[in-house]
Amino acid sequence: MNRFAYARPGTLAEAAAETGLVSEAMVALSEGAVLMAGGIDLLDLLKSELVTPSLVVSLRGVPGLDAIAQDAAGNLAIGAMATLASVAEHALVRASYPALAQALAGAASPELRNVATLGGNLLQRPHCWYFRSPAHHCLRKGGGHCFAIRGESQYHAIFDNQACAIVHPSTPATALVALGADVELHDAEGAARRLPLEDFFVRPGDDLQCENALRPREVLTAVHLPRLAEGTRMAHLRQGEKTGFDWPLADVAVVLVHDPDGTCHEASVVLGAAAPVPRRARAAEQVLKGRRIDAMVAADAARAALQGATPLSRNDYKLALFEALVRRAILAAAG
Amino acid sequence: MATPTKTAITVTVNGRPRHLELEARTTLAEVLRDGLGLTGTKIACDRGACAACTVWLNGRPVCSCMMLAIDADGQAVTTIEGLAQGEALHPVQEAFIEHDALQCGFCTPGMVMSSAALLERDPHPDAGAVRDALAGHYCRCGTYPHVVAAVLAAAERKS
Amino acid sequence: MTETRTETFPSGIVGVGLGSVTREIPVSEPPPWPPNADLTWIGRPVPRLNGRSKVTGATRYTVDVRLPGMLYARLLRSPLPCAELRRLDTTEAAARPEVRAILPLAKPGDRLRYAGQPVAAVAALSLSDAAEALAAMDVEFRPLPFVVDMDEARAPGAPAVHDAASAPAGHPSGFPAAPGLPLEGNVRGPAVVRRGDPAAGLAGADVVVEGEYRTQVHTHACLEPHAIVADWRADGLTVYISTQFTAGVRQELATAFGLPLSRVRVVVDGMGGGFGAKSQLGLYGRAAVQLSRAVGAPVYLAFDRTEEQVDAGNRPGTVQRLRLGAMRDGTLSALAIESFGTAGVTVGAGIGFFAERLYSCANFETRQHDVFVNAGPGCAMRGPGNTPGAFAVEQAVDALAERLGIDPLVLRDRIDPSPVRREERRIGAERIGWSGRHRPGAETGPVKRGIGMAQSLWMSNVQTNVACEVRILRDGSVEALSSVQDIGTGVGTVMAQVVAEVLGLRPQDITIRIGDTEFPPGGPSYGSRTTASITPPLRTAATRVLAQLAREAGRMLNAAPDEIEASAGRLQVRTDPTRFLAFRDAAALLRTDRVSAVESRLDDYGGFRRRMPDAAMALEDLGGVQFAAVAVDTETGVIRVERVVAVHDCGRPMNQLLLESQVQGGVLMGISYALLERRIMDRRTGLMVNADLEHYKLAGIHDTPEIETVILENLQGNSATDAYGIAEPANIATAPAIANAVYNAIGVRLTSLPMTPDTVLAALARTGRS
Repeated sequence: MNRFAYARPGTLAEAAAETGLVSEAMVALSEGAVLMAGGIDLLDLLKSELVTPSLVVSLRGVPGLDAIAQDAAGNLAIGAMATLASVAEHALVRASYPALAQALAGAASPELRNVATLGGNLLQRPHCWYFRSPAHHCLRKGGGHCFAIRGESQYHAIFDNQACAIVHPSTPATALVALGADVELHDAEGAARRLPLEDFFVRPGDDLQCENALRPREVLTAVHLPRLAEGTRMAHLRQGEKTGFDWPLADVAVVLVHDPDGTCHEASVVLGAAAPVPRRARAAEQVLKGRRIDAMVAADAARAALQGATPLSRNDYKLALFEALVRRAILAAAG
Repeated sequence: MATPTKTAITVTVNGRPRHLELEARTTLAEVLRDGLGLTGTKIACDRGACAACTVWLNGRPVCSCMMLAIDADGQAVTTIEGLAQGEALHPVQEAFIEHDALQCGFCTPGMVMSSAALLERDPHPDAGAVRDALAGHYCRCGTYPHVVAAVLAAAERKS
Repeated sequence: MTETRTETFPSGIVGVGLGSVTREIPVSEPPPWPPNADLTWIGRPVPRLNGRSKVTGATRYTVDVRLPGMLYARLLRSPLPCAELRRLDTTEAAARPEVRAILPLAKPGDRLRYAGQPVAAVAALSLSDAAEALAAMDVEFRPLPFVVDMDEARAPGAPAVHDAASAPAGHPSGFPAAPGLPLEGNVRGPAVVRRGDPAAGLAGADVVVEGEYRTQVHTHACLEPHAIVADWRADGLTVYISTQFTAGVRQELATAFGLPLSRVRVVVDGMGGGFGAKSQLGLYGRAAVQLSRAVGAPVYLAFDRTEEQVDAGNRPGTVQRLRLGAMRDGTLSALAIESFGTAGVTVGAGIGFFAERLYSCANFETRQHDVFVNAGPGCAMRGPGNTPGAFAVEQAVDALAERLGIDPLVLRDRIDPSPVRREERRIGAERIGWSGRHRPGAETGPVKRGIGMAQSLWMSNVQTNVACEVRILRDGSVEALSSVQDIGTGVGTVMAQVVAEVLGLRPQDITIRIGDTEFPPGGPSYGSRTTASITPPLRTAATRVLAQLAREAGRMLNAAPDEIEASAGRLQVRTDPTRFLAFRDAAALLRTDRVSAVESRLDDYGGFRRRMPDAAMALEDLGGVQFAAVAVDTETGVIRVERVVAVHDCGRPMNQLLLESQVQGGVLMGISYALLERRIMDRRTGLMVNADLEHYKLAGIHDTPEIETVILENLQGNSATDAYGIAEPANIATAPAIANAVYNAIGVRLTSLPMTPDTVLAALARTGRS
């Protein structure tokens, strides 16, 4: 780690103002200031000297950023500084958004979940081994090419992988996108904006060095989960090589809204560890809508979910794996 | 931009307030081991992937290698050296010995801390809960079966 | 000529068929021990005596050693898989105020043959000072062509990793041992072992099965990294090092630095895992000592996790082409294996003696080759050679059984001459439920279950250059001393059991002082030899020192010394136990503050199979049979090991609890090897991409099946304790047992390790079974 100064401001505006580019570790290879939430991902980047900030601004001093609260309309706001453990254990999350609780329970390890925050988790940088290796100056770090595309791609993207083959590392994000979550962003002047989490993540085609739409002097402060419609059901499934504490080879979140007669009229199917951003499988959703879900429908949807995949030399196994997982998640959600 | 210098912090370690002067980049694991001589906390992967460095932060197990010490300012840290009450071992420690839930012992302090934390919040875990609580720990010697047996036995004894 | 006497020892498997064997043994040796059931401490599940210090964090590992004035060292390493060092200018780094010494480890013009090869070392006031000094070094490398993939390295025109002068010959850990083998391109070999006429055996076979099996490069991944604290002083050198062999490192240091052995001391207390990787001093160790000598202060040097993954040894990868011929009744007519393996820039990637010795087969040949690639050097790792070797042979034998229509256990009963393994197969089959085993791939549904088994074979090693001392002090306390180190097996506890058994005390009454070359030379903790080497001389020493105490007690009790026996904390007259002295009261009679006896390891009573300098191989091999029950999800490709039954033998079991721990550890390392671990090298950059514990995956607690351990008491009348080892046999059979179980589950044979979802799905797709 390089030497850096440390600040722990007491307000959000101060925090945002102190930093040029802000958000946990969004300043790879820069020498500016960096905002720190739980710090798990940032410490990893600092130790590899993939970030060498002059200043680390801790958000731990800003009160209230870890709150989890439901509003009168039944929407749930989760503060960006809420730890993964506190979100996973929260009664409202467990009762109303079990797919999120499942995704959180499978993220990292208990010791890390006690420190890692939901905001930091969404903003963590890719865990692509080329990106994390100081010895590989890859495209995302300003280098000339993506090493994974013709290299060791077993854990890489099967969609949208022509330029850079990272997968988004956040498992909770898979569930949150499926649940239609928004993120709330505040800037140094106190202005706030909200946008759907799905739109918050940035594809390599739009920006090769940044994974999200956070602007300079802006802080992610909360994740908002909408109140769910009657008849909503959901599931999140993940599959790693290991059974516990491992990055998923594939993870899938499915949120369905059924009519009283059992017909699916809304469907959200999201693939994690498949693409540089959590991937909505819209073709699969179309298959499900207006149907009564059974094994055949689920299998059709699962096949549709993999349409257009462009696996790399080492990861075509993910096609079969995702297909199985999507089918199982749909059936699990449909109950 | 402020010039990086040493910062003074106070952390309550094993019940005792400790005043420390350190660089911001110092991790909690480093200050425990090198600043306070509490070398029972181990660093193995140094990236949060093995949990050998587990200590309690305000009663909850955390990876001390993945936390800046300065972030623990004003908080309470319990290390493996602070778990026993004087000569009396924590039931988890006793059970680890009896069930031979350790071999080379390098991962053991971390395993013990997470196991003891589990029993604090769930006095009657089943084997599945024990495995969930220890999912982040690596043991290269392969003590896991005896660890599960030891934690279940410690839960019995505690109750 | 040593004076001898004749003794009759129990011999055979306790509970199965116990006979006896008569031995001529030196008169100084203690009498035969009965089976464990008739002993007080031997074989009992005594919890390890250093458990308290381990669970409280008090145990001091090398990485915990802090000496006054200690400096911290780091190594500069080559960032490229192959390069010429063009420039190494350390002027600026040396001028930094925190830097105390810099030691070049390569010079301009040198060829660096793997990424991570050390180039220079620096000692500074802190670790970060040392790291910053490395960054300040002006160093230039000229990239050279490289090859990191074994198949590519074998191809014509591949970049040459070595020239004739630099290419290592022979083998550091003896597999294969032959020196002076031919070198062609990157291939050294073949080392040929042959008996009979394999070609004729294959031609005359009723059935021939052929297969190609691949095993990956597997790193030791000890949780404590390689670490040393070197403290060079005018009156001698003290080195604290995480090592499996204190006495061996002492010898290396004396030789390397021209010091008399008496001026070199090597110490290890806690030792955080070795598995073969910490047997020697190593370049890093020499560097730390040189730095300490240069600055006159203690120097600490420990690897970080990346260094540990790229330059701390590994189990070499192999590809093995195997042909097995048999007659209709199962009799093997030929076994021929051609293997290529890679230990990176060094040799030692053979397949051991598993195929050569396990089964009866008159016509046999192995042709083993080492293939050089630009990667960190391999070294011995838990069952070296035999572990990859077993993966191929044990699957081929199962494939043969299927072709012959014979149950795999029945076939092994016919071709495996070992009566011990026969018994192990019988016990294991019963416990796993072998009789309910279905035919391969018989289950319907996406998740298919299966049962498989495989066998283990390892040699019973003995270190003959081993001694230990037992002391009785006048206050009644007892010490046992040896330089032997506890690498996690709990050898100190076993030592205490032996001494307690002899002296009639409790294990916790014995103070164990080990891990320090100030004490008599203990052997290495590798090759599954520690218990076999240390416990016989320890028992003899305890017996001898007891005789000294018995003299004093006898005087007091009006009995001859040889009428005195030690039991339950007393010295008593054998024929009249009402005449006794408490052990402590007897000790108080000693004329001096302490009495002591030092004894060294004798030859096995029945002789050795083979003798090496300082070591030997006992007559009987170690066995072991493991059974695995697995569930294979044919849609996701995920294999779950649900249950393992491990049936093993190690001569006389000394401590059931510690043995069970070691067997579980061997099984878990085997599961991890079978399903998860692999070093992944990028072929274009020549770098290891998973040099961490995040993407280099070890089995965790959720990957752990139910493991049932059975340990036979296999007495042979071979030494004062009759104890042998278990660490390596426990690891060898696991991966092939799982592979055979997977075959039974899905009807598709997986021939390469690790058996990750991608390989499972690919194999299923190839055979149309997905």
